[in-house]
Amino acid sequence: MKLQELAAKLELKCVTQAFDKVVSGVYISDMVSDVIANAKPGDLLVTVQIHSNVIAAANLVDICGIVVTQGKLPAEDVVKMANKAEIPVFSTNLNRWQMATRLYEAGIR
Amino acid sequence: MTSEPAKPRYEMVNVRTGHVIVEHDGRSRAVRSYFSSEPSPPVEEYWEGVHVWKHWGTAQSFQFDVLDHATGGTIAYNELLGLLYYGCCQEDSAIRQIGELAHENRISIYIAITYEAPDGTPTRLARDKLVILNRLFNDRLQASKKKVLILPDLFDLYKTMSYGQIMIDFGLTSMEEGR
Repeated sequence: MKLQELAAKLELKCVTQAFDKVVSGVYISDMVSDVIANAKPGDLLVTVQIHSNVIAAANLVDICGIVVTQGKLPAEDVVKMANKAEIPVFSTNLNRWQMATRLYEAGIR
Repeated sequence: MTSEPAKPRYEMVNVRTGHVIVEHDGRSRAVRSYFSSEPSPPVEEYWEGVHVWKHWGTAQSFQFDVLDHATGGTIAYNELLGLLYYGCCQEDSAIRQIGELAHENRISIYIAITYEAPDGTPTRLARDKLVILNRLFNDRLQASKKKVLILPDLFDLYKTMSYGQIMIDFGLTSMEEGR
């Protein structure tokens, strides 16, 4: 499924430029090292982290996008870094569990 | 007829979670760090030769080995503390400027930061291990047009970088500090 199509379906707020990519899976984690070790290229990362290192890890693994939960918003420099790395970042007021169920309902496996 | 994409030669295996322990000796002002796989990171003060090492900080981290599917052998990366993304460095730093130039060619620069040896001197990641590390991450980017270039710490960044800048895990509160 296309990322922007999924974002529209789940009413995610895009806080970066809208780079459209294909979502091939989901990885939920708040640990940078866990993302590097276990996430797969094309995964959509669901996290509560808004630190710049999350962008660095997502770029290394070729994550297709990041959904930041619980209404958190990354700082301007982090948004700038994400735009540069062409990693779209979305924000939602849902928590990670709620987000996971919505993604499953949307057909992402 | 289409064929399956080739399986990458290298694979990250034996991922071990633990902590980066940072210690300092107040008298000599020496600072060093090491990886501990103990469930509870050690915080005790202790003597070692002329040094009295005191606990200074802890961050969650991990270590891993790389499996070479061509030979069946594994390569340990115990000296690797973490990877530093150029975008996390100061705007006027040399590595940031090099990184910006590389980015124009869709290359993302990372620096391999290593632990200090027990005497406080930096350890170096051997060139062949760096080559494998680059291959490991780039082979995972098969569907992407971008490339990753992991460089050795030629700039001695380990002396000046904070652990918040290096891709190791801080506690959630620490990671969000100042944001």
